[in-house]
Amino acid sequence: MESVLLPGSSPIVTFRILFRAGSALDPKGQEGIASLTAAMLSAGGSRSQRYEEIVEAMYPMATSFRCQVDKEVTVFMGETHVDNLDRYYRIIRDMLLNPGWRPDDFKRLKEDAVNYLKVSLRGNNDEELAKEQLYNFIYEGMPYGHENAGTIASLERITEGDVKRFYEACYGTSIMLLGLAGGYPDRFPSQVEFDFAGGLTTGNESELVLPQPKKITGLHMQIIEKETRGTSISLGFPIAVTRSHPDWPALLVAQSYLGQHRSSNSFLYKQMRQVRGLNYGDYAYIEYFPRGMFQFHPDPNLARQQQIFQIWVRPVEPQNGLFALRMALYELRKLVRDGISLEDFESTRRFLTKFVNVLVGTQDARLGYALDSRIYRIREFPVYVKEQLGVLTAQDVNRCIRQYLQPDNVKIVVVTQDAESFRHAALDDAPSPITYGSPMPKQVLDEDRQIENYHLGLTADRISILAVDDVFQKP
Amino acid sequence: MTKIFPYKYDIEDLDNGLRLITVKTGYPNLIALYIVVRAGSRNEIEPGKSGFAHLFEHLMFRGTDRFSSEQYDEILKNAGADHNAYTADDRTVYHVVFSSEDLEQMMMIEADRFQNLKVPIDLFKTETRAVLGEYNKNASSPLTRLLEVTRDTAFTTHTYKHTTMGFIRDIENMPNMYEYSLEFFDRYYRPENTTIIVAGDVGSESVLPLVNKYWGSWQRGVYTAVVPAEPAQNSPRHAHIDWPTPTLPWVIVAYKGPAYSDRRKDMPVMDLISHLGFSESSDLYQRLVIREQKVDILMPLFEDHQDPFLVMVAARVKDPADIHGVSDHIISTFDSFKKAEVPGERLEGVKSHMRYDFALRLDNSQAIAAALAPYVALAGEPETVNRLFDTYAGIDPSDVQHMANKYFDISRSTIVTLCHTGK
Repeated sequence: MESVLLPGSSPIVTFRILFRAGSALDPKGQEGIASLTAAMLSAGGSRSQRYEEIVEAMYPMATSFRCQVDKEVTVFMGETHVDNLDRYYRIIRDMLLNPGWRPDDFKRLKEDAVNYLKVSLRGNNDEELAKEQLYNFIYEGMPYGHENAGTIASLERITEGDVKRFYEACYGTSIMLLGLAGGYPDRFPSQVEFDFAGGLTTGNESELVLPQPKKITGLHMQIIEKETRGTSISLGFPIAVTRSHPDWPALLVAQSYLGQHRSSNSFLYKQMRQVRGLNYGDYAYIEYFPRGMFQFHPDPNLARQQQIFQIWVRPVEPQNGLFALRMALYELRKLVRDGISLEDFESTRRFLTKFVNVLVGTQDARLGYALDSRIYRIREFPVYVKEQLGVLTAQDVNRCIRQYLQPDNVKIVVVTQDAESFRHAALDDAPSPITYGSPMPKQVLDEDRQIENYHLGLTADRISILAVDDVFQKP
Repeated sequence: MTKIFPYKYDIEDLDNGLRLITVKTGYPNLIALYIVVRAGSRNEIEPGKSGFAHLFEHLMFRGTDRFSSEQYDEILKNAGADHNAYTADDRTVYHVVFSSEDLEQMMMIEADRFQNLKVPIDLFKTETRAVLGEYNKNASSPLTRLLEVTRDTAFTTHTYKHTTMGFIRDIENMPNMYEYSLEFFDRYYRPENTTIIVAGDVGSESVLPLVNKYWGSWQRGVYTAVVPAEPAQNSPRHAHIDWPTPTLPWVIVAYKGPAYSDRRKDMPVMDLISHLGFSESSDLYQRLVIREQKVDILMPLFEDHQDPFLVMVAARVKDPADIHGVSDHIISTFDSFKKAEVPGERLEGVKSHMRYDFALRLDNSQAIAAALAPYVALAGEPETVNRLFDTYAGIDPSDVQHMANKYFDISRSTIVTLCHTGK
């Protein structure tokens, strides 16, 4: 067991108890078991307390206990006022070390998982649907190739016994990272370490070995059809760079310049939303960033061995769907062809050097990033980023753009009404002009001509249409 | 009892009516600057003009003669700033978090856009499309639509009838409303409607001179919005939404509630009831979500408002056959507060929760400024938070019963259901 400790004077104590195991370990046919197991621990009863009793006990303390499950990491999170530390800790220790495994908790949490897929993702959030399905499309048939929550068919098959066995096999101290921050007493971390060392087995330490993602040749598109007002688009491809790679800081600059999340300062946002009013925003990523609709900063503890480059186009009016897709590809091609200017490099670097302070602006975020730095084997995150940015050059960034980014071999997920028309138009490759309600500068209109004629080169065998009810249905 | 808001702050009022609140949080490196304008969708009093407060939140990023929107963005980018804005019924809040050394520059550019915004008609029209894009992105969520219909049904006259986004027909017509947008800015973006909150490791001795320098010459306005009062509701109202795609059914039960006050017990009692009746620790939640598992989301929506608004409870139901049963359970829970006093111990547990919940949120300068912004919009000063928590402390079980009888009459209710029938 390793520990990451950030003692401080805050009256709040933050816990992040992390296990290096996640949905990539889900056995075939049991997709979703890692998530369901974590949910049974964080939102189910312990041996000594039913879940209702836990909720009631936590309530006067205004605390909670949550989990986040990703491909390779499961983290349990909570915070408490130091006044209540002992009471709170006793509850969560029992939840993690002596789970109750009650059938009624299992039934409720399984239904929650199914409803998350069916209702929250498929039904109520087209943007996240496109973003999540892109990963399934890119990693099809591989350990990363299913939504973390699983599939509806596999969830239905998982039994209480399966979940218990998964816990026993995967939750060991050898893959545990204990994160604590805030004003806890000096002796507290060793007490936690002692309890967990006694309560869990050592477990299996062997590192997950992943196959290389499949090579993408040309453009490939999945169109998810549903009755909806807007057309949502996500596109991307695997990149060989994670936070532990020496080229990550350079690629971070490129990504921030092109599409800093939820920022009006990114190039895509300016061109697509500010200049053309196409939608609410357009962003780019080099790391997994779920729940982007609801938050401005990424959650920590989503460390992965493999990442993709991704562009997120927020819903556009359906008649502008193909234009928006072409524009995202056009701008990516331009970036790869022209690189970023010295001036843009400098301003993006200045931004990130200071913005990294915002990312670690809370005790919880500092702790989360510190745990990730331990996993990626880099220095303290803000120090590392500032130091690396300090020695970076525009040439480095442009070399990385050319080396890792490209617009030609890309997977695309579109969520839209009338999928057949979209498919037909995309295959046809005919111009997809856009009209505006107000006069536009000539320069914009000239560029629009190029965008509307952007050659997609899609073939019928590379486009498929999915009914929304088939997404996340089975492995 | 110690004050719930523990930070020292200073209040300074400029001659033009602008208020500065500086909160010395002691958290290093970053400063949070929150600019609170007391104008929101409540101020959209003319028919056909809903959504303008929110549109303005967008337009405010479109530049002035001195700094184009590109230059404004570039300055923010150089400062590594995290900036955004949001609009609510009673306020629009512009916020930016940045490194301490950039305070003067931030004050300068923010003051410039509040006083000198200039949006040419073409950019105005483009921005109205981004607003439509925002409506479209939200439109896939049934809850958004449910709240839209609940307001539209519950209110006949007051501007709370529409959401902050506005009616879709008004949003679609926005490109034609350039002149009105200028008037909206002229009316409401004025110093007497505005409060600046600065939170960080900084005191008013360094902030006030900058505010005087950059904001001191801003001219006071003359306009006062006359928001039409909502007539008393005398019978229950219902609405149903047939959702076009598969989803789980929803129900909202709403009653006409009180306006915000930190001294009168009405709204503070409602806040306590929201927890007593409908939080995770409530009997209803334990029954419907955990034991019977008929509902997977149970959510009280008791928001503070300047004028009397709604107290609402939303539930997502797993089986369409249970929708009316769930609605009845919610109504019975409201009724239960009328019939008997809540146990004192339970009431004290809720008060403890609310104190810890507020205190646990205040762990960085941005969170502190963000927590203050709604209260400052409603009551003008941070002290309202301390008074509010003092009022909570003084509420006893008989107050809860009294207020429940005052507000939870079925004739003041609105019930809205949503489901997909697939027809």
